[in-house]
Amino acid sequence: MSLLELQGVAKRYREGQLERVVLHDVSLAINRGELTVVWGLRGCGRSTLLRIAAGIELPDEGVVRFDGRDLASCGDGVLGTGIGYCQKLLPSGSQLALDLVMTPLLASGLASAQARSRARESLERVGVLGCATMRLSALDTSETVRLALARVLAHEPQLVVVDDPVQGVELLQRDDLLALLRSLADEGIAVLASTVESTALSGADRTLTLSEGQLRGPPLRELAPVVALRRANARSAGA
Amino acid sequence: MGAERDAHAGPMQSQVNWALLGLIVERPSYAYELAQRFERTFEGVLTLSSVSHVYTALAALRDRALIEELPGTRHGRQPKPHYRATAKGLEDYGQWLVGQVDEDLRRQQLFVLALARFIRDPHAALAILDRYEQACLAAARNTPLRSRDGERTGGGPALAVRLADEEKRLALGAKLAWVVYVRRELSASVGLGGAPQ
Repeated sequence: MSLLELQGVAKRYREGQLERVVLHDVSLAINRGELTVVWGLRGCGRSTLLRIAAGIELPDEGVVRFDGRDLASCGDGVLGTGIGYCQKLLPSGSQLALDLVMTPLLASGLASAQARSRARESLERVGVLGCATMRLSALDTSETVRLALARVLAHEPQLVVVDDPVQGVELLQRDDLLALLRSLADEGIAVLASTVESTALSGADRTLTLSEGQLRGPPLRELAPVVALRRANARSAGA
Repeated sequence: MGAERDAHAGPMQSQVNWALLGLIVERPSYAYELAQRFERTFEGVLTLSSVSHVYTALAALRDRALIEELPGTRHGRQPKPHYRATAKGLEDYGQWLVGQVDEDLRRQQLFVLALARFIRDPHAALAILDRYEQACLAAARNTPLRSRDGERTGGGPALAVRLADEEKRLALGAKLAWVVYVRRELSASVGLGGAPQ
């Protein structure tokens, strides 16, 4: 059973008298340890797809299952712990990076010392521990994306959903960011990302395109040997 | 694509000849060394039929006054004459590089004209377009991620590889966007549409 399954998902938006179909009969399965990237032009519905996959938005038709459970019926319970949705925009200004990661941990009931320790671990995991005491306004785009990842990873999610991670990131820093997503997948996390940039497809296990409301890509069965090989390589590299 | 002694012909067509001229522009070299550098630099992109291929190409480049022998390098029992680029060689090489824009456009136009043979059978064209799109995605997916530690400054082979990868990935993005446009046009022509509006 796949960790995340979308079956026959459709989504429409009403614009005045017109109804715009953003997603039409979209089906997708995502497994643990896979990095899946959806490419599409601006306005094609990538963000909608990701919000639906994360359970933030409900589809008009179809089913979204996470770990076998229908997201429509489990409410917000899965978001955060099971699914980490990486917010594109973070509050700017005087807040410290460490506080941004700590705050949701404190809200979840962790003691201050424990929350601080876990937040620091998470920042270190994504390579921005050095930014812990920096204000958000002082971070560059790449650091901001890493910080957003640290925030969701602190909750140990099984699935990380990240919308357009390389948008605005300097070309030289993109591969480092993609390598981070790759490493998360190699650790066993399922990663679903979207992008408008063809430069963000490198290193993915599976790449799909979204246009005219339809998702296109190789069938999952073609992917299995690739992922198995990659996992074996990751294991032998770690040994 | 083979090296030719085409001194009296029109523009030099041989990709191998141009590639060898580039290596000589990079630094003066002799034939055997050029063959080795050629294999290392253009592996998987261009091939030499044999080392003697280099001698033929060097003769062609010399005939066109694009290279000249470096004085004082033809000595000893096994002379290894080194060649350097002439001012004309440098100029022509630059022109050839800039001309690659037209060459790329010509190649892409050829593809579009070939695909257009299916214009009366849009379903077949759409099926091919799907496969073309998948091929683009696979090529982008398989472009390796580069660790840039120690590569951020300076030049060298690592930088050349990274620049080539970046050009490839950006070009693939343009092709993917073009596929979306063509699919929309073809679908509209047969009333398929994408998602129902």
